[in-house]
Amino acid sequence: MLLTQLNKGERATIIDLSLVNESVRRRLLDLGISEGSQVCLQCKLPFKGPCMVENCGQSLGIRLQDASYIKVEKKC
Amino acid sequence: MLNIALIGNPNTGKTSLFNNLTGTYQYVGNWSGVTVEKKVGIIKNKKGNLIDLPGVYSLSPLSKDEAVVSNFFVTETFDGMINIVDASQIERNLLLTLQLLEFEKPVIIGLNMTDVAKRRGITINEQLLSEKLGVPVVPVIARSGKGTATINDLLTDDLKVDASFTLKYGPIIEESINQIIHLLPANLSIPKRWTAIQLLEGNAEVRKYIRSLGDGAGIDSIIQATNEQIADETAASNTSKWIYSVRKAFIEELIQSSVVTEESENKSLTDKIDKIATHPFLGIPIFLATMFLMFKLTFDWLGIPLSDILDGFISGSLTTWLTNGLNTAGASDFIKAVVLDGIVAGVGGVLVFVPQIFILFLLISFLEDSGYMARAALVMDRTMEMVGLNGKAFIPMIIGFGCNVPGVMAARTIETPRERMLTILLTPLMSCSARLPVYALFVGAFFAKYQALVVFSLYVLGIVVALTLAKIFSSTILKGEFSMFIVELPPYRMPQGKALLRSTWDKGKGFIKKAGTFIFGGSVLIWLLSYSGPAGFDVPMDDSFLAMIGNVLAPILAPLGFGTWQAGASLITGFLAKEVVVSAMNIIYHVPNADSLQGLLSNEFSALSAFSFMVFVLLYVPCLATVATIRKEAGSVKWTWFSVVYALVIAYVLSLVIYQGGKLLGY
Repeated sequence: MLLTQLNKGERATIIDLSLVNESVRRRLLDLGISEGSQVCLQCKLPFKGPCMVENCGQSLGIRLQDASYIKVEKKC
Repeated sequence: MLNIALIGNPNTGKTSLFNNLTGTYQYVGNWSGVTVEKKVGIIKNKKGNLIDLPGVYSLSPLSKDEAVVSNFFVTETFDGMINIVDASQIERNLLLTLQLLEFEKPVIIGLNMTDVAKRRGITINEQLLSEKLGVPVVPVIARSGKGTATINDLLTDDLKVDASFTLKYGPIIEESINQIIHLLPANLSIPKRWTAIQLLEGNAEVRKYIRSLGDGAGIDSIIQATNEQIADETAASNTSKWIYSVRKAFIEELIQSSVVTEESENKSLTDKIDKIATHPFLGIPIFLATMFLMFKLTFDWLGIPLSDILDGFISGSLTTWLTNGLNTAGASDFIKAVVLDGIVAGVGGVLVFVPQIFILFLLISFLEDSGYMARAALVMDRTMEMVGLNGKAFIPMIIGFGCNVPGVMAARTIETPRERMLTILLTPLMSCSARLPVYALFVGAFFAKYQALVVFSLYVLGIVVALTLAKIFSSTILKGEFSMFIVELPPYRMPQGKALLRSTWDKGKGFIKKAGTFIFGGSVLIWLLSYSGPAGFDVPMDDSFLAMIGNVLAPILAPLGFGTWQAGASLITGFLAKEVVVSAMNIIYHVPNADSLQGLLSNEFSALSAFSFMVFVLLYVPCLATVATIRKEAGSVKWTWFSVVYALVIAYVLSLVIYQGGKLLGY
């Protein structure tokens, strides 16, 4: 499933970043987010605004468009 | 003297550590070629200089800001590094640390925020970490300065070089590293292994540097071949990914052995505040309310009362003392006129606004330090995206409210060149604090009851014009598909008094310096032009050179509602710095203080033409210092001219619409 399909507050593991734009992926890697990272969708801003994602206690904002290219797997 | 570089990820407390490691003395200069601030301070133990580098995640640059750091590594000489590491985010912080260790210079790691880490259930064994990495690891609390004494003690004249740290990247990469090392110039001033790794990783700045030393074709083909080999033979799709995964694996192993992590699920204060600050519907209203509160504080509640006290002092006691002093010294009438009518009126007229400007800078520093800026960027991103920018562009704009110069510079954190250029061009439309004296003068005279509201409307107008132009520019002359926005949202922190005062002073001192240079010089010049005319010295003001110059502009400005030579002349001089408009008016109308100037102005302007004049001052051209900064940051004469010309056109058109429209409506 996609990161944007998570509900607010749900946790998941990132499984694929290869569809994400090159520069965006570089920045995600810089922030320590790569395949295998645990993320939690904290909130989505209205009108297709950016969403807030948490990883290891650190939050970051990312555009909905970019987040929709991130494939995740929900934690069972 | 040692030269030590301070480097670390953004939002790790680097500035606090810098302030605590160096005393009060520091100088601010520029990095060669760009106007990114280069802060250098003397380390407290007097053993050397500490160079503050912009916060970066990696030595491979994505933004202009980061390019400065890469460039520093390849071109400047330094003796060692202090690497500040955020303990609560140790994994990604160490990614940078590994690249620093590979540079084969002494490194001291300052481990910050261990308290935050502990609350999150992370405990770090510094000793073990230090052994594994082969460098000292000092726990510090950057905000209070705890631990800085230990760092001071480690910074001795003979810094130990421990080049024992080597991370092996596997047979394919190691082979390529060896090949590249052979092709590098023998007298290369930077470590060859580091250079080879950075080249393989795709560091554009290092590649540019190596190319500048000679033909890099051989190296390029090795990089190419390695990339293909990695893609074919490993799970990674290119070299940089492979290198990243090797580093990440190394860090994970390191953390397993030296970091204890417990699950802790307590909700932090940050989460609670974010529930409101980035609330889907309350987010934007809260942002606007914050801005409005800022202006209320700057004007109504704190700034104006303080300014009034200062004004009373300058036009009262100070003028009396100076008059008496000059009389006793037997100064000529000419000297007396220069000092009292030129300098006191001009410089004093601007200095009275120092309290308001400092309060504004203090509030901006507070927003920066508290962590709210990043949230503002997040909340505004959607709006900014619609006009072809991204949320990050909002931060330079807010900083631009203080002063456009650092605002334009702050645009360098924006990754995409197109969005960066747009931000540079539009930040000068943000109403900087130098425009405040002009508003304060006019709202005091014409809108006494609604001061904060009228000034706030000007700020909003600046933003609206900027966003509208962003839309127009991004769909015409600065077209581009790619836009990027990722922002780190650091935990909220209560800003510290000392750090706040320091950064307020850093920002505000330029204003006082300006009063002593530009405004001082400008005031004397304006006074001289008003004192002399074709008929000689001490002519009636209307026959002065200044009136002649102003009269050229007056007919052009007449449709805007202020077709007097006085307005024209003060606007020309306002290019030096916008507050000079007030100095010029003080001198021209020959009044002792702001109150009597306001009284006089009400004969020359109507409420409508005063508003039109303020709008014109808001938009007309960036000041001299801003234009120079745009020239450097944009790196293009064409765009610099563009920024001046479009602003002038917009200012004229809007003032015209407001004045003529207002007249039609019967104001």
